Amino acid sequence: MRLVRLVSLALALVPLVAADVDRLFADDLPPSDRPIEQVVDALIEARLAEANVTPAPDADDAAFLRRVTLDLAGRIPTPGEVQNYLASSEPDKKSRLVDRLLAGPDFVYHTRNEYDLLLMAGKGSGEWREWLLKSFQDDRRWPQIFREVMLPREDKPDAKAAAEFLKSRARNVDDMTNDTSRQFFGVSINCAKCHDHPLVPDWAQDHYYGLASFFNRTYLTKKQFLAEREDGDLKFRTTAGEEKQARLIFFTSGEIAEPSLAARSDAERKAAEEKQNADNERETPPEPASYSRRAQLVEIALRPDPAGFFPRTFVNRLWARLFGQGLVAPLDQMHSGNPPSHPALLAWLARDAEAHNYDLRRLVRGLVLSRAYGRTSRWEQPTERPPEQLFAVAAVKPLSPMQFGLSLAIATANPAELAQWRENDEQWSARRSDLENRSQGLASHFEIPGDNFQVGLGEALLFSNAPQIEGELLRDSGDRLVGTLKTIGDRDEAVRAAFLSVLSREPQPEESEWCGNFLASRGDRPVAALQQLVWALVTSSEFRFNY
Amino acid sequence: MANTYRGCCGSPEHGLTRRRFLGTSAVAVSTALAADMSVLSVLKNLALADEVKQQEKRVLLLWLAGGASQLETWDPKPGRPTGGPFRAIETNVPGIRISELLPKLAQRQHRTAIIRSLNTRNADHGGGTELMETGRGKEAGIAYPDLGAMLARELGRADSTVPDYVSMYTSTEGRHKGGPGFLGARFAPMFLDNGLMPENIHRLETITDLDHRERLDLRNLLSAQFARARDSAAVGSHNSAYSRVRGLMASDKLFDISLEPQHIRDQYGPSQFGEQVLAARRLIEAGVPFVKVARPWWDSHGQNFETHLELATELDHVMSTLLDDLASRGLLENTLVITLGEFGRTPQINPSLGRDHFASAWSATLSGCGIKGGTVYGKTDDDGNQVVDGEIGAEELFATIFNALGIDHQKEYQFGSRPIPLTNPGTKSVSEVLA
Repeated sequence: MRLVRLVSLALALVPLVAADVDRLFADDLPPSDRPIEQVVDALIEARLAEANVTPAPDADDAAFLRRVTLDLAGRIPTPGEVQNYLASSEPDKKSRLVDRLLAGPDFVYHTRNEYDLLLMAGKGSGEWREWLLKSFQDDRRWPQIFREVMLPREDKPDAKAAAEFLKSRARNVDDMTNDTSRQFFGVSINCAKCHDHPLVPDWAQDHYYGLASFFNRTYLTKKQFLAEREDGDLKFRTTAGEEKQARLIFFTSGEIAEPSLAARSDAERKAAEEKQNADNERETPPEPASYSRRAQLVEIALRPDPAGFFPRTFVNRLWARLFGQGLVAPLDQMHSGNPPSHPALLAWLARDAEAHNYDLRRLVRGLVLSRAYGRTSRWEQPTERPPEQLFAVAAVKPLSPMQFGLSLAIATANPAELAQWRENDEQWSARRSDLENRSQGLASHFEIPGDNFQVGLGEALLFSNAPQIEGELLRDSGDRLVGTLKTIGDRDEAVRAAFLSVLSREPQPEESEWCGNFLASRGDRPVAALQQLVWALVTSSEFRFNY
Repeated sequence: MANTYRGCCGSPEHGLTRRRFLGTSAVAVSTALAADMSVLSVLKNLALADEVKQQEKRVLLLWLAGGASQLETWDPKPGRPTGGPFRAIETNVPGIRISELLPKLAQRQHRTAIIRSLNTRNADHGGGTELMETGRGKEAGIAYPDLGAMLARELGRADSTVPDYVSMYTSTEGRHKGGPGFLGARFAPMFLDNGLMPENIHRLETITDLDHRERLDLRNLLSAQFARARDSAAVGSHNSAYSRVRGLMASDKLFDISLEPQHIRDQYGPSQFGEQVLAARRLIEAGVPFVKVARPWWDSHGQNFETHLELATELDHVMSTLLDDLASRGLLENTLVITLGEFGRTPQINPSLGRDHFASAWSATLSGCGIKGGTVYGKTDDDGNQVVDGEIGAEELFATIFNALGIDHQKEYQFGSRPIPLTNPGTKSVSEVLA
């Protein structure tokens, strides 16, 4: 096999407009050793002051606990966790809570679920989900996961599931290109396929085909293994009708030099052809190509670069998950015409992530301990609710299908049983895994959060009339909330217990009154009354969203 | 009429009963919150309220899943090597001849426009279905809405107590689920994949009607409390979905064809397709803007002629009955009936006496609302191998459908920062078939 000869690093043959109007010099950024939460608040609050907006006050303890537990553990807190947190008077109880959540078993499960949604829209196989879980359990970092996804080793039993991302898209180079681009680099590039991007001057057809060229040699063999050819180029037609050969380009990189195919000897050419023919027939996974364009992509994407598509997208997507809106929004529109709401903050966070080898826990911890994250989601000032990109008030975020499914399971469980399971992490980890599996069926009915999220009629009908809601969630049995509530003699106490289990807070006086009256008017059917009360709580908007 | 099925929930007496359990302070609060709730119940970001709705216009799509043969239906080639055994017959419109398998429709040709010049280039079930359901090719990174979702969006009303998109499908190729794509779950179809009754539309026997309603009132009260000072379109859609539940449940009788007079049921016949189309007519009559009935098994790679003898004959009967029924109720002028599938079938007859997938020269029909009946648009060559006149693709067909309903086919939706017109810029509708 021949060695790769890279003649020069980058040869900008194609005129490009760099996506770097928001690029900032390191000198302009806050010092790198400042705590994340301080940098977040300094930069967010500077912008608020500029806009003359006073941010909303802090969320109360119960709301913060619920929010951060949903964001870090992917579920609502158990009633025991609520009571402990509300009762605690430790001055640093917030950071203790966050540290406990980051160290607990739920964090890796939830992280897995979120990245599974991002990469496979929840349609990945069991092996893929296991591989992803193992990756986060072993604290593998995002660049490594990216590398394994782009350059999967199907000959390694414990790593082959990583191939699923590309294999499920390998029939269509557009799918591989655009999904990789959106999910890892924050750029939706497909509008520049048939013509230069009509709305984004940064992206021309050269960029689309330049990125697609990293994938054009990737294919599935007859035995459905992922393989990569040694040669082959994309051609495209410009809107002027000119036929062009695509050159490898990574967004703003300029053209990337490659070993020239023309320089190959006949023997080398023949060997490449033979390898390809043999690969296609193999019963076992083929060897990687001697020169792999996908390997080039990994190298270029992870190379330090002020445009930083890879680290910025890592940070921006995580920010959006926690704050309800990206610093760049929409999440796949990272280009010069759509600058971040807080350019210095995005640049600082991306630099920090790179400097700390994409330490997810470190980054999450800093973000959720910021004042910006901890605000209430209610806007009570007489002025209009400020635009989301000011982060003056917390967002109301729909639960993901698994967050919702799992939270339903926890909300309607017997609180004493939950407390028992939570006694140690190992036991809880097994229980959580089990609850996730059992929640899959119900979760499959729910919409995946995204732009323009809406709850459909199907969900409301399901909760209103499906037998599994009555028969499972609202069942009158000892292992369920309803079975527990009916043993509580006092009506107000029952209402209070229901609120703690489902809404993770104490009821307000008027809520106690409404719910108490509701139960009282059903004195002849007390169990049905409790079932209906729990139904009204689990179908309430408060439960459906993370606020 | 179907409108009387909406039930008795509007009566003030029920209002009092509902409030009884909530106590006096709750009445005050719920009155105060009523303003909030009414705002929430309109999906603000969808701007439904400011749309001028194409009132009362409706669409019934007969989806011939698997791909019907144009030669055994709308574009026969008798006497040619590709023609097969069936003859062409005269219709009640001089000069238009269709397959002898459609004798009843031939007598109603004045109601229908035939388009014989579709060249859609995708003869793969998955790709062809996606193309003909959405009017566009698949594109990485964006999920386009299908025709039903777009029309639910254009023709439906936010506060409707009937569904705005019902899709009936039962087996094989018909099972493909389209959907609302980027328009969002509000416009997702109600699927009927198992019998004629939608899932979860009936109250369980374990709860009384009163309790079912009052627990919903409690839910709404708590949710209104939550929504205060939390302005969110997503939360609005949640409340809006729950506010439609009781109305939808009251519309269950629309799906119950046993409520039709026996002579009407006899006219449609006892076949599953006949019953589905009858249910579809009931829905259309009650104001459901879009109903799709998928009839499977047209994918006749073998024994094409027996297949079409059975299926085209059934289509002839059911669609004729439907057109007559809609016309006699005065509904046809506002209801567009479409026959369409993912593609047509090859002129060449294969060794199994079948016809294979073919997207280069095939047919669709439009009848009723906005359509000039008794017309034929486009022409294929003598053997039906290619279009020789008036070639159109999926986009032009969709533009024609939109225009027939009075909808501007260049109207734009917004997907993130990207404006997406109903059909791509420059697309022209087939004005020759428009009334």
